[in-house]
Amino acid sequence: MPITTVLVANRGEIAVRIVRACRDRGLGTVAVYSDCDRDALHVRLADRAFALEGNTAAETYLRIDVLVDVARRSGADAVHPGYGFLAENEEFAAACADAGLVFIGPSADAIALMGSKTAARDVARRAGVPLVPGSDGPLPDGLDDTALRRVADTIGFPLLVKAVAGGGGKGMRTVQTAADLSHAVRAAKSEAGSAFGDSAVYFERQIVRPRHIEVQLLGDRFGTVQPFVERECSIQRRHQKVVEESPSPVMTTDLRRRMAAAARSIAETVGYTNAGTIEFLVDASGGFYFLEMNTRLQVEHPVTEMVTGIDLVEWQLRIAAGERLTIDPARALDPRGHAIECRVYAEDPDRGFLPSPGRIVALRQPSGPGIRDDSCAVPGYDVPVYYDSLISKLVAWGEDRPQATARLRRALREYEIHGIRTTIPFFSWLLAQADFEAGAFDTTYLDRLLAVRAGDTFATPSEDDETLAVVAAAITAHRRAGRQAAGGLSSGARSAWTQAGRLSGLR
Amino acid sequence: MLFEIEVNGRTRQVTIERARVGHGRYRVSIDGVPSTVDAAAVASNTLSLVFPDDGGRSCAVGVEETSSDTLTLHVNGARVPATIDGARLRRTAADAKGSGEQIVLSPMPGKVLRVLVGEGDEVAARQPLVVVEAMKMENEMSAPRPGRVKRVLVTAGTSVEAGRVLVIVE
Repeated sequence: MPITTVLVANRGEIAVRIVRACRDRGLGTVAVYSDCDRDALHVRLADRAFALEGNTAAETYLRIDVLVDVARRSGADAVHPGYGFLAENEEFAAACADAGLVFIGPSADAIALMGSKTAARDVARRAGVPLVPGSDGPLPDGLDDTALRRVADTIGFPLLVKAVAGGGGKGMRTVQTAADLSHAVRAAKSEAGSAFGDSAVYFERQIVRPRHIEVQLLGDRFGTVQPFVERECSIQRRHQKVVEESPSPVMTTDLRRRMAAAARSIAETVGYTNAGTIEFLVDASGGFYFLEMNTRLQVEHPVTEMVTGIDLVEWQLRIAAGERLTIDPARALDPRGHAIECRVYAEDPDRGFLPSPGRIVALRQPSGPGIRDDSCAVPGYDVPVYYDSLISKLVAWGEDRPQATARLRRALREYEIHGIRTTIPFFSWLLAQADFEAGAFDTTYLDRLLAVRAGDTFATPSEDDETLAVVAAAITAHRRAGRQAAGGLSSGARSAWTQAGRLSGLR
Repeated sequence: MLFEIEVNGRTRQVTIERARVGHGRYRVSIDGVPSTVDAAAVASNTLSLVFPDDGGRSCAVGVEETSSDTLTLHVNGARVPATIDGARLRRTAADAKGSGEQIVLSPMPGKVLRVLVGEGDEVAARQPLVVVEAMKMENEMSAPRPGRVKRVLVTAGTSVEAGRVLVIVE
């Protein structure tokens, strides 16, 4: 089933990534865009682009019917769903298949099976992989408080109430003691119902200060599964990953071998094809437990690509086209060097990471050896309010973790964005923390660190910085006043200033 | 020329004139402390500064015009807001209306999930006042300084647009 033209059913930086991979292989590309995404980079990088009327995700990037129709009209023979939106929606995968389109991802059945957290746990159990202790299956509706308590007691406290259809930290509540149980179940069910359309929940023991370590894998249609060197994703803010790296600073050869084998075993149990990731929690004594499986390409896939030299999106396309995996297992599992990624969000870290949509007035992206920036931002780009605010993923590779860290710090210093707030100053601060440098952290680390932090801004200027700012301000004011005089503009300090500013912008 | 430039709460008296020698060279004095700087505008938003009397020290400052009398300078990864001759203007505005009033507004469209305070409540700096759901997240809106809630203008369930006033704290 050769593929010739791919509909990229997504937006933002991942749409750019997919278009590039398709171009690398000489495939045609079709982009889709909502009203506010008309100016987006992925639109002008693709060969053809089709409008999706509306702005909200529900009106646009989640419209299965519209997307399948665009594929038909554009002559695309394959669809890449990216991540988020419909990437893990089995109805979309099935609709593509029904329309004769190659879905660049796993089968609809695999998505449905592993998308249910409790069904996925069953699979892991069958595959002989240790699980985070938890309830067998979703909690039946209408259990009274006593019955809930009985189930919880078999699992032990502290525990998490989690959405069966969930992900991304939504529909989750932590329960320290039995007294909080009923309330937490009600709250989690309510949030799950509105976020995922399914209020079913289950219980899972909360492992104290675990590390989140995940294993990327690829599966071809001939039954070959190739696991990759792990990614460490423990730096999370409210269950959202913000920094990822590969390999894990605490990994041993033996643990890597066992986790890779466990991941492979799960994928083989369900006959998994294309890209996927098995997420594990690892406790302080090196015990690992299956958490869940993501049946799609993940945001943080670049760190794996940087330490293996393997292009995961390219392989997604090749597997979908029916090719066999020919990856040397040593290359996939033995990392070369170290890679660290920061997610640059349009959020203001000095105001509790408040979203900061708006126009990027100026932009300077970092570069140099070992620096990769997967971005959709250009000067003049309007960060929309309708979707999440990921602008770019800045990744640094080094021969070892200290060099990767040094390069990432240097790249963050070079990264300048005007017009909106971003998490860049927060990352500069984080990468200077002693525990980060030592690789000594777990999934509770960042939230704890932020909680005890006093209210200083993340990038507090020194007195010397202030002096430089004053010098620059004075020079700017002097130049503008000079232009105002030369241009004969009307006086009135404020309005002339703005006009002079506009003039200088035209140069 | 003489400017009053305020950075980080401190106003500095700054004189600046072109030096006779050298294109782009200025003599700057900040609160009486002189220096010579060579400035080049590289790209529309960046100044390259070289200080010939300071061992040739070189740095770049990003210049962002955030309003008609304020700039945000980007120096070594820090954002430094600067107001030029703004003290005079701010005093006028403060006289015009009750000074110290803090208007808490929603910076983006969304929906009010919860109102956490009532009129008359005393609130601390950065204490959450209203929770607005936007961009798939719950955002807590607060006022930067302590005060008393003067008016609450929204309730849970209100849809808000960018710029909508949520709470006034005096």
